[in-house]
Amino acid sequence: MDRAESATRMQPSLDEQRKTISELQTPVIQVWDRILALPIVGSLDTARTQDMNEAVLDKIVQTGSEILILDITGVPVVDTAVAKHLLETVSAARLLGAEVLLVGLSTRTALTLVHLGLDLGGVTTRTTMAKGLQLAFERLGLRVVAADKKGPQPADEAL
Amino acid sequence: MLIATVMEELHDQDALVFQDELMHMLEKTDSQGVLIDLSVVETLDSFLGRLLNDIAVGARLLGARTVVVGIQPAVAVTLVELGLQLKGVRTALDVEKGMALLAQTSRRS
Repeated sequence: MDRAESATRMQPSLDEQRKTISELQTPVIQVWDRILALPIVGSLDTARTQDMNEAVLDKIVQTGSEILILDITGVPVVDTAVAKHLLETVSAARLLGAEVLLVGLSTRTALTLVHLGLDLGGVTTRTTMAKGLQLAFERLGLRVVAADKKGPQPADEAL
Repeated sequence: MLIATVMEELHDQDALVFQDELMHMLEKTDSQGVLIDLSVVETLDSFLGRLLNDIAVGARLLGARTVVVGIQPAVAVTLVELGLQLKGVRTALDVEKGMALLAQTSRRS
């Protein structure tokens, strides 16, 4: 088999691999009815943002979600460019009626943003995913209630 | 009073006519709320994008609570690329959610 032939044979599986990697990098998870979460790990460039926005928007349409929790704990550097990309995702999601909650900002990131004069344009932020989820529940008028230890009680569990 | 408007794929002149008609309707009927449904619009160029922004903001300026619904992913991406945020205009995924949003804001005011 010559080079050209073997390259053509490899192409479909390369495309598949690329698609898998892309999906792995942007796991948009439905954590609750109407609530999506997207943990971003690694750096964020233009190409990745585009893939991300596509995945996010499709998921919003699919699930009718109204809140997207964007977790940037795993993003090592948040500079002007990254902030711009994040804001693009926020704007796009908003146009589809979903509010974005940004979580996982470290103290260092916050200081960097302040230093760069970027205030993320009024995007709601929280330090952790858990806090973001709590806020998401509040926004949707949901409450988490402990189940009665005496045994199952009817109709007392919110959600 | 609500006006729900569905736009077919709009091209230049049609879009301008639409804008005109919408503004006049708003004025005439003194509507409190407008729902603009874009679910049929699949693509947007910069002209249409800016026009859409103007329509939405214009309706809001005429005092109508404006909700835009049905923006498709590809259209959203284009709007973001063009830097158009439909400022002050609420958005929702579909007509149902849009109506709920309009009802919500009217209850508050």
